[in-house]
Amino acid sequence: MPQDKSQEQGSFSSFAAVKAAYGRNAGIYDLVFGAALDRGRRAALQAMDCGLSRRVLEIGVGTGLSLPSYSPQARVVGIDVSPEMLVKARERAERLNLRQVEVLAVMDGQRLAFRDGSFEAVVAMYVLSVTPEPRRLLREMRRVCAPGGEVFIINRFSSAKKLGRLVERIASPLSSAIGFRTTLSPEVLDELDGMTLAERRDIPGFTGTKMLRYVKPG
Amino acid sequence: MSQRSAGPDPKLLEILVCPLTKEPLRFDAERQELISEKAGLAYPIRDGIPIMLVDEARPLDPDSQPMIG
Repeated sequence: MPQDKSQEQGSFSSFAAVKAAYGRNAGIYDLVFGAALDRGRRAALQAMDCGLSRRVLEIGVGTGLSLPSYSPQARVVGIDVSPEMLVKARERAERLNLRQVEVLAVMDGQRLAFRDGSFEAVVAMYVLSVTPEPRRLLREMRRVCAPGGEVFIINRFSSAKKLGRLVERIASPLSSAIGFRTTLSPEVLDELDGMTLAERRDIPGFTGTKMLRYVKPG
Repeated sequence: MSQRSAGPDPKLLEILVCPLTKEPLRFDAERQELISEKAGLAYPIRDGIPIMLVDEARPLDPDSQPMIG
């Protein structure tokens, strides 16, 4: 499907563009994305078994919408490209006294500032689509995941069907206006080769949106 | 800034490494920066939040450009 390539690059060809867009929208982010993405987030957090006390990296933590869902025994590190978003995440953590939030830092998911194998769970919810080079992000997720640990991905993947692709193309300009690329080829997931795909779940209400859970060999 | 000048959460130094070299970092309390000697870069801590971006890091030696790989 070479014709899909240009769309996969989307409007977020540079890290700076992503960062600027999220900085601008920090104030309205919860309103726009809070309810719309809630189902997928809930599914991932359920699958993650948030009662476990373990070190979790959430990439694209944004304003910290999911932070209250983690167990107080967990140790959560949240990163985002936008310092404006992280200030809101920290306010949320302080307001709700979320002891599980260990560190919040501005970081590029394509170049993580963590040692190999630092986390028992690495999570990216709706992040792949807004990352200029999703393959680099996936390689970094695999690197910082500990042996025996899990990588969780929620994203919308492009449809294999022709009609589906047509609909995606029509919807694409709308989505890029709010910072979403609608199509992402599932082929990028081959960066996780060597990990075991342990779970693949459809997120109801969002065609093509999946929650994927990979396990790194121990 | 003043209420945070005592130092970063010790967990920061335990967890974070340089995003370029993946080497441990040193904390400069006076400047509120995380120093990567090998990369020759200082990552700022602004309002208590570390900014681990190569593009926003301060080169330690202004004459030399950081190697970006």
